[in-house]
Amino acid sequence: MNFLNYLVSRWDNLLELAIQHAIITAVAVLIATVIGVGLGVATYRTERPRELVIAIASVFLTIPSLALFGLFIPVFGLGATPVVVALVMYALLPIVANTIVGLRGVDPAIVESAQGMGMGRTLRLIRIELPLAWPVILTGMRVSTLITLGIAAIGAYIRGPGLGNDIFRGLARIGSPVALNLVLGGILGVVVLAVLFDLLYVLINRLTTTRGIR
Amino acid sequence: MSAPADVGSRDGSRVKIHLDKLAKRYPGQHKPAVDELSLSIPEGEIVIFVGPSGCGKTTVMKMINRLIEPTSGQILIDDEDITRADPDQLRRRIGYVIQQIGLFPHMTIAENIATVPKLLGWDRERIAARVDELIGIVGMDPALHRKRYPKELSGGQRQRIGVARAMSADPDIMLMDEPFGAIDPITRDRLQNEFLRIQAEVKKTIVFVTHDIDEAIKMGDRIAILREHSRIAQYDTPERILVDPADEFVADFIGHGASLKRLSLSRVRDIELGSWPTVTDDTDRAEAIAALHASDKGSLLVLDRQRRPRTWVDSDHLRRSDARPLSEIGLPLAVVEPRATLSDTLNEMLTARYSTAVVVGESGEYQGVVDIDTINEAIRGMRSAERGRLRRGFDVVDEVG
Repeated sequence: MNFLNYLVSRWDNLLELAIQHAIITAVAVLIATVIGVGLGVATYRTERPRELVIAIASVFLTIPSLALFGLFIPVFGLGATPVVVALVMYALLPIVANTIVGLRGVDPAIVESAQGMGMGRTLRLIRIELPLAWPVILTGMRVSTLITLGIAAIGAYIRGPGLGNDIFRGLARIGSPVALNLVLGGILGVVVLAVLFDLLYVLINRLTTTRGIR
Repeated sequence: MSAPADVGSRDGSRVKIHLDKLAKRYPGQHKPAVDELSLSIPEGEIVIFVGPSGCGKTTVMKMINRLIEPTSGQILIDDEDITRADPDQLRRRIGYVIQQIGLFPHMTIAENIATVPKLLGWDRERIAARVDELIGIVGMDPALHRKRYPKELSGGQRQRIGVARAMSADPDIMLMDEPFGAIDPITRDRLQNEFLRIQAEVKKTIVFVTHDIDEAIKMGDRIAILREHSRIAQYDTPERILVDPADEFVADFIGHGASLKRLSLSRVRDIELGSWPTVTDDTDRAEAIAALHASDKGSLLVLDRQRRPRTWVDSDHLRRSDARPLSEIGLPLAVVEPRATLSDTLNEMLTARYSTAVVVGESGEYQGVVDIDTINEAIRGMRSAERGRLRRGFDVVDEVG
């Protein structure tokens, strides 16, 4: 069976795996965004905590994923939960770093004029600083999504959902005729998802930023 | 230190902002940034803080809306001590314009102007009406600019919107920190004039910071010249600062062009016009020559039938036998209106061939002449008038320093 025939015969299975893969990625990136933007907002004004947060998130990203998944088995067991926790850890750095860079990049004159007009700290953050930092934060989320899509495939090692299942099944049957098709199908699925997520980010950027800062 | 300048009692206007022994010390700095400054700012006037960079003038201004918290002292607005008020509530009733403008780039012009009214909870129609009104007041077209973003405007337009935004909730007080500092000289001049025109109508109490003494003289009803640690070197009207600088520091700060600067403060209508022998257009030559001999001047001013000045004629012109009317011979005139400044008048005189300017009224009719001596006299007069006033003890300004 050539690869094209394989795709035609197994597309429903691939689609299901791809949807699982997309969901677990989206969930991980959303949680990482909440935590990352929160940490960024909490620390961007002060030097020491800011550096500490960046350092910790950097360490997370350097842990080999296979090892981390393995380490999580005794803590979270098998399945989606440990995968999501690990993915959140990997997705954190680009989001935290870009939140901090974005917030610190807001022109101090703009913040001062907002303050001078009687906007308190929270209002200033919500109405002025975060909207101006948003395109940079969104770029961080985009990078995180790409990292997460790749690493999520390895989550199948601890019975996580997604396209990694086909890849691991293929790798386990190296030599058999279907092995290559399984691996290639999984890889193609991840690549297609990456393209689709990228398009989604372009759309979100369009919808959530005004012409004034584009 | 004695009581601060009580400007209110002098010319009947009320004190709007009163700074009482206001001081700012930064930790780790030996000398205070602002050292016990006391000053009264009258309602409806533009008070300029001017001084060399680092003198703390911006610090003083930012203490008024408490972007910088004073270390000690009081700030009274309408006799109420605002050093304990809620700073955000306070700032919503004080307009604030900075040199970098600080428009919000992600918001439209309308949204930028609506910022404070929204904070104050105005309803939507009232905000929309106010936004359009303000865009119009600063000389722009609401329909065209309402929905634009700051990056789509020129520097001058952005500055106008900055001023409009500061006036949005109709505050009594506006603080302006070098608002025209980052704009090219020609646009700056136009914006300054427009701002003075707006101010003549709205009569806000304005604290205006600049390092440019020429801007201070042009814009200020009153100028506070600050030296290091925000000590007041002189607090007075531009006229009196130019005529009678309090000390070396002020004189140095004004620079050598003080007399020239003074010329842009007084206008032709403020001085006594000279007279000149005139003849009408249709006078015959012999009669004109006789009139010229009878006067002590070397020439006659030719007027037409509506008494509008036309030319200068001297004896050479008159002796050349010629049938043309007098208005067609002779030298061209430098003509000025009563509202021209002496500076403009002097400029006209120097440009024209004859160093006397003719003053005309609304419909162009002859009113009198101004020559170099008149201007000189006017400057001397201003100086002695100010000196006289000082001697009569009206001065309350020295007590401030």
